[in-house]
Amino acid sequence: MVLERQVLPYFTWLIQGEPGGLGALPRFLLVMFGVGLAALLIGFLVAALRYGFSRGGDLTYRTVYGGFFELLQTKWRRVWALAVLAIKEARRRRVLVALGVYFVILLFAQWFLSTDYPEPARLYLSFVLTATTYLMLGIGLVLSAFSLPSDFKTKTIYTVVTKPVRAGEIVIGRILGFTIVGTVLLAIMGLASYVFVVRSLDHTHRVDAETLTNVMIGGKLQGYDGSTDKVMSHRHSVELDAEGNGLAVLDRGHTHNIDRVGEDYKVSGPIGLMKARVPKYGKLTFIDRNGAKKDSGISVGFEWKYRSFIDGNTQAAAIWQFDGLDHDSDDEFLNLALIVRVFRTHKGVVGRPLTGTIQLRNPETGVVSAERSFSARDQQIDEFEIPRALTDPKEEPIDLFEDLVTKDGRLDVIVQCLEGGQYFGFAQADCYIRLPEGDPRTNFFKVNLSIWVQMVIVIAIGVTVSTLVSGPVAMLFTASFILLGFFRQFFLDVATGQEYGGGPLESLVRLVTQKNVMVELDPGVGVSIVKAIDDVFQGFMWCVGQLLPDFRSLSAVAFAADGYNVPWDRVWQDLTLCGAYVVGLSILGFFLLRTREVAR
Amino acid sequence: MSDEVVLQTRALSKVYRDFWGRQKVRALKALDLEVRRGEVFGLLGPNGSGKTTTMKLVLGLLFPTEGEAVVFGRPASDVSKNERIGYLPEESYLYRFLNAEETLDFYGRLFDMPASTRAERVDALIKQVGLDKARKRPLQEYSKGMTRRIGLAQALINDPELILLDEPTSGLDPIGTREMKDMIIKLKEQGKTVVMCSHLLADVQDVCDRIAILHQGELKELGRVDELLTVADVTQVKGRNLTPECQNEIREVIARHHGELLSMDNPTTTLEELFLDIVRDSEARPGRRAASVAAANASDSPPSS
Repeated sequence: MVLERQVLPYFTWLIQGEPGGLGALPRFLLVMFGVGLAALLIGFLVAALRYGFSRGGDLTYRTVYGGFFELLQTKWRRVWALAVLAIKEARRRRVLVALGVYFVILLFAQWFLSTDYPEPARLYLSFVLTATTYLMLGIGLVLSAFSLPSDFKTKTIYTVVTKPVRAGEIVIGRILGFTIVGTVLLAIMGLASYVFVVRSLDHTHRVDAETLTNVMIGGKLQGYDGSTDKVMSHRHSVELDAEGNGLAVLDRGHTHNIDRVGEDYKVSGPIGLMKARVPKYGKLTFIDRNGAKKDSGISVGFEWKYRSFIDGNTQAAAIWQFDGLDHDSDDEFLNLALIVRVFRTHKGVVGRPLTGTIQLRNPETGVVSAERSFSARDQQIDEFEIPRALTDPKEEPIDLFEDLVTKDGRLDVIVQCLEGGQYFGFAQADCYIRLPEGDPRTNFFKVNLSIWVQMVIVIAIGVTVSTLVSGPVAMLFTASFILLGFFRQFFLDVATGQEYGGGPLESLVRLVTQKNVMVELDPGVGVSIVKAIDDVFQGFMWCVGQLLPDFRSLSAVAFAADGYNVPWDRVWQDLTLCGAYVVGLSILGFFLLRTREVAR
Repeated sequence: MSDEVVLQTRALSKVYRDFWGRQKVRALKALDLEVRRGEVFGLLGPNGSGKTTTMKLVLGLLFPTEGEAVVFGRPASDVSKNERIGYLPEESYLYRFLNAEETLDFYGRLFDMPASTRAERVDALIKQVGLDKARKRPLQEYSKGMTRRIGLAQALINDPELILLDEPTSGLDPIGTREMKDMIIKLKEQGKTVVMCSHLLADVQDVCDRIAILHQGELKELGRVDELLTVADVTQVKGRNLTPECQNEIREVIARHHGELLSMDNPTTTLEELFLDIVRDSEARPGRRAASVAAANASDSPPSS
């Protein structure tokens, strides 16, 4: 799984953030301060232009002072009344039609979803969860953007604001009501999609008795090897003991248990189709072909810098250092997983995977285990069960935990490519120690929670924007916010000049003059003006970028689809982020609504 | 009526501007008003005279360009003043997907009323405005008159001290109009203060203690209705069963005292009174033909003086 940003422990994320960065809480306070200051200045300028300097100042002061006082007078009975109204309104607007649409999607999905795929669960999960995400974001967008403007249009807002209702209660009530509607829809969709995935992939096999051959060791029957029949585009190899019990070997990401019942074999349903691997990540460093330590490997020309590569049949190696292991562990195995990105400069032997080696090393004593070779297929997750009893390169016995793990729990894993002219590509998240697996159902719930978080943020944005503008404009604005949120990193890269081609105006000039992004514009007055205007644009973009929710990183669909457990730290972070957006946007919406003339 | 001022406007002005801040309309010009506790105050004026704008400024639905409105001693922008206010807008702007009970319950919650109080109040108000049989019907099925009645009920949900009624009889039939006026008088008897705006002069005359007449955003007249309408140099005498001889004697008396007799004839009743009599009679004795009703009315009517 691609994990471009490490999931930090919750409190590290909240207070300190990534090394060299800022924690979420100080960032939130800083953004709130910035937005508050900007709003104060703009509000004062508008008021001063309309009513003069002193009255404008007085109005601004009263708005801010009275506003905060009003915020404290929020009554939850009123908020709940407005939330219930929003729920009834959503029901009247036939929001349940969305469920019908979803069920139609599921009905026809099997026409397009193939089971002839290395990991069919990945395809199914990815499909249903992505469909749920986009549908829920769409529902949140439509519900939130049109509600308040509709009240203004029909003037029903008159009878509400002439009651002792605070503007903040209207905003929070709307957000709460639509969130409840969305939550119910999401719960139904989540349940339906889980049943859909499980039922669609459920199958069994028959052991093909004709393929069974005896496995003899020392003239004694040890068991049977064979295969199953072909169901859902695959068949399994079968390994049975002498009594006829055993399992169907892993294929398409799952196994089956086999029990001998009389003369027949009873094959269970698929086991392990949906996974929730719990990885323990290490820190990745590299050694180049000459044996020098490096922070990254070499580039093979990919623009994406997530992975870097080591060259085969040289000293180049990727080294992960894990910590927090138990030197005194009683475990008999260490479960290791490795994902290799293979880059070939020549075909090699067609159909044969590349060979690599894994070694374990004690980072303090330098004691290493003997090399263990493996076959590397591109992007495949190779799982190794490394036994406790190992040997060193001189074939002297060593103990994995006692000899290779330091007293403070560190262990190095060294991976090399053995074939000259071929390359292995690695990122930090490509090698990990497998901890006991999580519950796939809980994991599925966590992914749906990440969808819920995105939906709530969209609702909060929609409601806040709709306090100021009409329904269609609010929808367009919110949709733009979502779209930019999906490309937040790119947006920020343009704002900070890290993307080729300059700012927006320079890009327009390049588009019109057909100059590619790598060519410098001819210097001159015009170009200087364009760059100066872009500086202003980029400053504004940077400010907007600080407010944008990063929808791509909020999505946890990839976790479930790739079979990884969503860390609880990540879940709490998402929920905190969601709360921060709701609080910030509610305050903003409150002031926007409070300063609006309702009867205009 | 006490001297306590519950509503006051001081040089209240409103200018409507376009998006660019250019003046479009000067809707209200330096309005100074005081409404005292317990009176029924009428804002009169033709369309576009600034009545509704005044009411919206008082409610805080609009912000004044200059001056200020003070309600119960608090500025109009202070939301807490709404605790003691009831407002019936010109059209009953209500959520049409709710029924009567849900509507009143919703507005009751906005006043942070506890459930038991709310339930009692909702029930009483629904009965009071005569919607008991339609309490479960969604408002989208209501007639105009029923919508006005539920609108009035929502304005009274908090048992307000000050009730603002914008064109309260608009869209009502004569019976509804009479009931609305009776309701206003009843509210006054309960010690409530009512401010209503209307361009139906007869309605205002019937119920208001004091009126303000606005025209083109300016206050043109302000005072007690009876004082404003009294014609000081004319005396009106009404009598019943006067013979022609008696009437001649009266004429002679007026002439002897050098007075000018303006008219002496039989007055007509109002169309409203006639209509209400017919409807009441029809309800008391259903099935009678209109002609017979008219004949009966003619024969039953006492001779007018």
